Amino acid sequence: MIPEQLRYTAEHEWVADAGAGRARVGITHFAQDSLGDIVYVQLPEPGTAVAAGASLGEVESTKSVSEIYAPVSGTVVARNDALADTPELVNSDPYGEGWLIEIAPEDPAAVGQLLDAAAYRQLTEG
Amino acid sequence: MTNAIQPGNEALRRSPLHDRHAALGAKFAPFGGWEMPLEYAGGGVLKEHAAVREAAGVFDVSHLGKARVTGPAAAAFVNACLTNDLDRIGTGQAQYTLCCDEVTGGVVDDIIAYRFADDHVFLVPNAANTAEVVRRLSTAAPAGLTVTNEHDAYAVLAVQGPRSAEVLAAMELPTGSAYMSFTEATLGEAGLTVCRTGYTGEHGYELVVPAAEAGRLWDALLEAGAAAGIRPCGLAARDTLRTEMGYALHGQDLSPEITPVQARVGWAVGWSKPAFWGREALVAERAAGPVRTLLGLEAVDRAIPRPHMLVYSGADPIGEVTSGTFSPSRRLGIGLALLDTATGLGPGDTVELDVRGRRATMRVVRPPFIIPQVK
Repeated sequence: MIPEQLRYTAEHEWVADAGAGRARVGITHFAQDSLGDIVYVQLPEPGTAVAAGASLGEVESTKSVSEIYAPVSGTVVARNDALADTPELVNSDPYGEGWLIEIAPEDPAAVGQLLDAAAYRQLTEG
Repeated sequence: MTNAIQPGNEALRRSPLHDRHAALGAKFAPFGGWEMPLEYAGGGVLKEHAAVREAAGVFDVSHLGKARVTGPAAAAFVNACLTNDLDRIGTGQAQYTLCCDEVTGGVVDDIIAYRFADDHVFLVPNAANTAEVVRRLSTAAPAGLTVTNEHDAYAVLAVQGPRSAEVLAAMELPTGSAYMSFTEATLGEAGLTVCRTGYTGEHGYELVVPAAEAGRLWDALLEAGAAAGIRPCGLAARDTLRTEMGYALHGQDLSPEITPVQARVGWAVGWSKPAFWGREALVAERAAGPVRTLLGLEAVDRAIPRPHMLVYSGADPIGEVTSGTFSPSRRLGIGLALLDTATGLGPGDTVELDVRGRRATMRVVRPPFIIPQVK
């Protein structure tokens, strides 16, 4: 459940090259499984500037709440508005329909510097 | 994202059904010193919650304490210690009652007392408080009475939901007892107690069985319940179900620092009894009026109350959330909060909740948050 083509953060987020200078961000299978059933997702509006490592939103389950951190610095260019009514997509399809936001990175090379699948696998399997 | 992952802890006690839960892909969590299932693979809190509201669910609640008081006038002794009036019920009936501190009236534990006979009362305290309740009762017990901690001797399985009677009937177990009554039964050669009790707000049963027989009972319930859509349910769903009913959880909504008068469980106090632990303090508090009152909160917009969040009326903090969750049945945030009585705030009023630095509007309500179906 750790797709090879994606990049990862130690905060259990994945980042994909969405083309046209966009990086798509979501939370990993491991993260959604740890949280349990997700009931609310709060995300920033497109146009919001975000700094790598800073909190940009929340994912909330019945039992707990987790912050979402920006994996890279840049500007939010899209958010997954379907999650407002169907937050369970984050559980059922974390790498697909359950994506969270797209960022236009300040530094196009920043995504390539995140963890690769092997490094993230090592992190979760300890 | 960050999320605290609880590592397995070897010091935690385990249910006799632990291996069965592991085989069902349960996620475990520490609960009152026990490692118990939180939710199951293929389930999850929302599906498990829905199974109990719409069909049937089975919970392993073997972490719950078990203690027995036996000897001449055991019931009269228990009645002089615990708050509720045990003489309101007869043999074969159960009662919600409280063990309060003799001096402060704070709640040491909340307990279900099963009146087997005048000389035999069975108690089900909370896991974390069992040893303390047994210690207090043992210390007070006159010669000739025995107080025994039987925590590990029994397993407790709760079968809850509108189709729970159907499940028990398929196993030829008795289903007809009135709410808060119990009866002895057998499954094969094993004896068990079938109680019409629960912590979900649904029609349901709690089965008390010798620990060695727990596996057979669990297997039989899942097999007999398949046609009714039974699901194994974890403690995560138990928490959302009980919160929707406004049932207090000891350690959150009740504690040694919270009295029954504040928590609005005065109905579980036998006020006219001559003696029970904490009587003096509680009678005085009841006469003066409690300084804070446990009430319900319902989110007006997207916010989920969590324990220890502060409640505001304008700029002033007026209380604190004791329990909170997302209500799967109502699809909104709900919680219980201790609010300063002097504010005069009550059902219908609105307050604000500090949700991680952001203000969320909440409506004050009187729980339950759903229509109870226990009868």
